Amino acid sequence: MAKVKMTVNGRQVGSDCEDRTLLVHFLRENLALTGTHVGCDTTQCGACVVHMDGRSVKSCTILAAQAAGSTIVTIEGLAGSGELHPVQAAFKANHGLQCGFCTPGMVMTAVDMIRRHGANLDEATVRSELDGNICRCTGYHNIVKSILAAAAEMAGAQQAAE
Amino acid sequence: MGVEGIGASVARKEDKRFLTGKGRYTDDMSVPGMKYAFFVRSPYAHARIKSIDMSAAKDMPGVIGILEGKQLQADAIGNIICGWMIHSKDGSPMKMGAWRPLAHETVRYVGDAVAIVVADSMGEARDAAEAVVVEYDVLPAVTEAVKALEAGQPQLHPEAPNNLIFDWQLGDGAAADKAIAEAAHVTEITLRNNRLAPNPMEPRATLGIYDSAEDHYTCYTTSQNPHVARLVMSAFYNVAPENKLRVIAPDVGGGFGSKIYIYPEEIVCLWASKKTGVPVKWTCDRTEAFLTDAHGRDHVSTVKMAFDKDNRITGLKVDTIANLGAYMSLFSSAVPTYLYATLLSGQYAIPAIHANVRTVYTNTVPVDAYRGRAAGGDLSSRADYGDRGAGTRRFAGGTPPQELRADFPLSDPGDHELRRR
Repeated sequence: MAKVKMTVNGRQVGSDCEDRTLLVHFLRENLALTGTHVGCDTTQCGACVVHMDGRSVKSCTILAAQAAGSTIVTIEGLAGSGELHPVQAAFKANHGLQCGFCTPGMVMTAVDMIRRHGANLDEATVRSELDGNICRCTGYHNIVKSILAAAAEMAGAQQAAE
Repeated sequence: MGVEGIGASVARKEDKRFLTGKGRYTDDMSVPGMKYAFFVRSPYAHARIKSIDMSAAKDMPGVIGILEGKQLQADAIGNIICGWMIHSKDGSPMKMGAWRPLAHETVRYVGDAVAIVVADSMGEARDAAEAVVVEYDVLPAVTEAVKALEAGQPQLHPEAPNNLIFDWQLGDGAAADKAIAEAAHVTEITLRNNRLAPNPMEPRATLGIYDSAEDHYTCYTTSQNPHVARLVMSAFYNVAPENKLRVIAPDVGGGFGSKIYIYPEEIVCLWASKKTGVPVKWTCDRTEAFLTDAHGRDHVSTVKMAFDKDNRITGLKVDTIANLGAYMSLFSSAVPTYLYATLLSGQYAIPAIHANVRTVYTNTVPVDAYRGRAAGGDLSSRADYGDRGAGTRRFAGGTPPQELRADFPLSDPGDHELRRR
């Protein structure tokens, strides 16, 4: 048992956990942030994706101890309370989810790929970038549509700001 | 301003919570004093349980209790049933073998639950489960349904000689035989509709809470039908009378049929909660899901399709062997019968059809309805042998597939209406 400290969604937190505790369980059990999900045991499905120090990572394959001292953003921390991040809004407008279980991971992966590719995102790139996220409900079409819509919206908003 | 009323887009209510991480799936649920469960499962497809030694495990850190099938039996918890009676051609009822929520003397598939460990944390429950020593007498196993019907194969249930559960038919055998006998051409093929694992993104989970002050049970569970769960758990599994059992399905992350059935884990977690005096939460992991969620399909069919000289289908005869796995799941008998054979005509008007279905026990995961039940089997089978029928005709100097299809105008609703009896 050791106290593991990190910054999560802008807040400094610390909690005792076993050395073998995975980051996803630390978030879900220790911090009661249940928006990040466990969908597999082989690092394949992406339901556990969070942002660690600015990059998307699979929290099921990182020990909480490895994340000590880092800055974590989960689905709960993406937007201010009551608001929706443009990616969240795009998923809502484009029916990019059904049961919702893969959705937090999809959204976090989407935010990361838009950050890296910006307005250059095309369908082929989105589909390739989604290789680490599995959905069993939607067949992916509307997820891709949502992400492209969000990317366009965010590029447009950025241009307007500049 | 957009359209209002009919034609307007209606946004979903649940999206906001799913998108912001505020969904309430069963594993997200937490109650004060909640403990965690892990199941000890058979690594063998077929074996007798010689002994279960919990002596080392029960003293391990965090362990609250370890329970086995013998205790479940002693507490008169009922066996899992198949709720849909099917009779064989000879009038006899289907041969339903006993499915105990925790295996009592025999395990019949890899994954069959043998004991439940309840502990303070997931990790401690898992550690203790690994320390439970089960001695098995390994038996020969059979996994292919066709093989399981043969003489000399391992027998799974005393109720079902040669592992045959039922031998059922639907349709007009005499008419189908006549159509085949008088056909200008008959196509015969064997089709295998392979087993599928549903794998919804959310693994199954159950939180069983017995409140001793109120003498009342609450079950949070990943169910597509909590009312059915309550009914079945009270009426058949003897968990509690219906007025003392509340079943709540919060947000459910996909099911596709696999979360219709009432599984051993729900029953055992509720019972374990009463035995240990604590709320008991179990969450399946993905490997366990492959081993325990009801599988789909697993049919082998011999199909004969009769054609007249104008390439019209005049008759269809189907002989299906359907693998139901090691135990009969809740709706398993209905799936390869009324949810399959009745659909063999598809969108075509076929005047004479006969289906014979034999269901079989094998040492595999129980099979039940999965998204479209067995319809995938019949429609793709039919389109397949429709194509092959035409293909064969072409090779024999017959009509190419496009012309065969033209005889059955699907785009004309009037004609379609006429052809539907």
